[in-house]
Amino acid sequence: MRAYIIRRLLLLPLIVFLVSILTFSLVRILPGDAAVARLGAQAGACQECLDRARQELGLDKSYPEQYGKWFKGAIRGDFGLSNATTREIGPELKKRALVTLQLGTISILFTILIGVPIGVLSAVKSGRPLDYGLRLFSILGLSVPNFWLATLVVYLPVYWWTWNPAKQFKTIGEDPLSHFGLLLLPALVLAISASAYVARITRSAMLEALTSDHVRTARAKGLAEGTVILSHVFRNSLIPLLTVVGLQTGFILGGSIIIEDIFGIPGMGQMAGRAVFDRDYQTLQAVTVITTLTFVVMTLAVDIAYAWVDPRIRY
Amino acid sequence: MATQTQPAVATPDLGPSMISRRWRGARHFVRRQPLGALGIFIIVVLVTLAVFAPLLTDVSPTDIGDDVLVEPSADHWFGTNRAAQDMWTRVIYGGRPSLTVGLAVVLIGVIGGTVMGLLAGYLGGWVDMVISRVFEVLNSVPSILFGLVIGASLGPKLDDTLGSDFIINPRLLAIVIAVSIAFLPAIGRILRGGVIAERNRQYVEAARVIGASETRVMFRHVLPNLLPLMIVLASTSLPAAILTEAALSYLGVGLPYGDASWGGDLGGSARQLFSLAPWLAIFPGVALGLTVLAFNLLGDSLRDELDPRLRGSGLRG
Repeated sequence: MRAYIIRRLLLLPLIVFLVSILTFSLVRILPGDAAVARLGAQAGACQECLDRARQELGLDKSYPEQYGKWFKGAIRGDFGLSNATTREIGPELKKRALVTLQLGTISILFTILIGVPIGVLSAVKSGRPLDYGLRLFSILGLSVPNFWLATLVVYLPVYWWTWNPAKQFKTIGEDPLSHFGLLLLPALVLAISASAYVARITRSAMLEALTSDHVRTARAKGLAEGTVILSHVFRNSLIPLLTVVGLQTGFILGGSIIIEDIFGIPGMGQMAGRAVFDRDYQTLQAVTVITTLTFVVMTLAVDIAYAWVDPRIRY
Repeated sequence: MATQTQPAVATPDLGPSMISRRWRGARHFVRRQPLGALGIFIIVVLVTLAVFAPLLTDVSPTDIGDDVLVEPSADHWFGTNRAAQDMWTRVIYGGRPSLTVGLAVVLIGVIGGTVMGLLAGYLGGWVDMVISRVFEVLNSVPSILFGLVIGASLGPKLDDTLGSDFIINPRLLAIVIAVSIAFLPAIGRILRGGVIAERNRQYVEAARVIGASETRVMFRHVLPNLLPLMIVLASTSLPAAILTEAALSYLGVGLPYGDASWGGDLGGSARQLFSLAPWLAIFPGVALGLTVLAFNLLGDSLRDELDPRLRGSGLRG
């Protein structure tokens, strides 16, 4: 177990390093020239300005040199200047990552609060109409594209009641109530398909536990059905839920690119989406590396927690 | 792509009578899996609409009409958009890119994932080491972010080199490549687990004892036993691939602006009009959701039929 954790921990920087090289190369093949993008209309007119902009952006150097310089900064949290806004990326990214972190946390809470009860109910009432209804709900939840759901949530109220749920974003400092209020809807939208997934996992784990020997024993010794379900069945089916937390991380990081844009949440996803269209190499690189780092760390944490919670799992 | 952290899935044990059993199973499929049959029915309808779209409407999806932003009516079943294009036409044509990308990605992902999974899982050693690391690196980037970067960089490049007369729209090809790169490692990883489970089974040993070469064991003995897992993976990744394609088109990385696609019609500058003309948002979204639902229903029932142990552990985008 310890050897496994150490091996994974050693692999972690390697993975992040490889991903950073991958994104560095990918971003370099984005069409257009960052120097031209920065200068805008001026670019065609003045070759000298273009050369100077290239130099400022470090584009005149070889790729390995550019990467080396970027890497040295990145490990200190300095991601350089944004090609689009010429502001520093680091502080902006930190601010936005915090917003996405809050969005993600609320979304995971929703996922569990919606998914687990549905899964438990579905398993306990297995084969009855309620089970079919809940399973239908899960498969619908899995099939609804979250960006479409978000679009409907934002635009239909405007059409029906001229009420717009996507309001001016407030930071915690400005207005904590409105801040969290605004995160609720996007978090819920992000949670829908994930909770459908949780419901399915919970249901099958519960069903498996329901037919196991230890549950038969618990019933045989005369425990009340509620106690059996809660402390013998439910506890054992909690393990697969851990997976979902890891899975949700990747899902939220990807989904936030669209959802944050629709709801006007100034998070990391919105930053990534804009960076692609502004040909903002530097920002895109920074966001991708941070996203990957988060995802890889979460996956590792989940794997370790898995083995810790379930002594049967040995790596 | 959200990757699974569950332990590798074992391949199902279906034995030598697998094929005959499946044929017999097909007869009872409708009775046993009514929801799966419903999925197949919806898929057939949607594919028919997409393939025969030109026969089902008398305008082209890019034709500019006379009536701007008309509500759904007898003339325009799904209303019209800002450019007075008929939304019914756009919705049935819009299925084409989604279905094409979905099928292409699944083909590439499952074939590529199988080959790489076989090599990694069966040969082990440094081959496994390299392939597994590659999978791990590619799996660490969320598929949408991946698709966004690759799609945005590759699309215009392919457009320039291949030109618009190429058999498949170069932008669509870029999306296929982008989504495939995101999906292949996730599929390959699960198949690798399947191969490892198969490798230690007796029939592999038996084949080796009678002197079969490694390649023969891999492709003639292990591969057929992976088929059920491949089918399940294909049917679970298809809806996810369609959703990813739609999300990319929504973000404007997909087809050129103006071409009919469900994702594209839901995103971009059309969004500003949704509060005035919600039908623009509703119909492409319903079509997309229905497609994904149909494939999910089919995938679920295939999983039930082929491998009950895989339930609830499918791929998603």
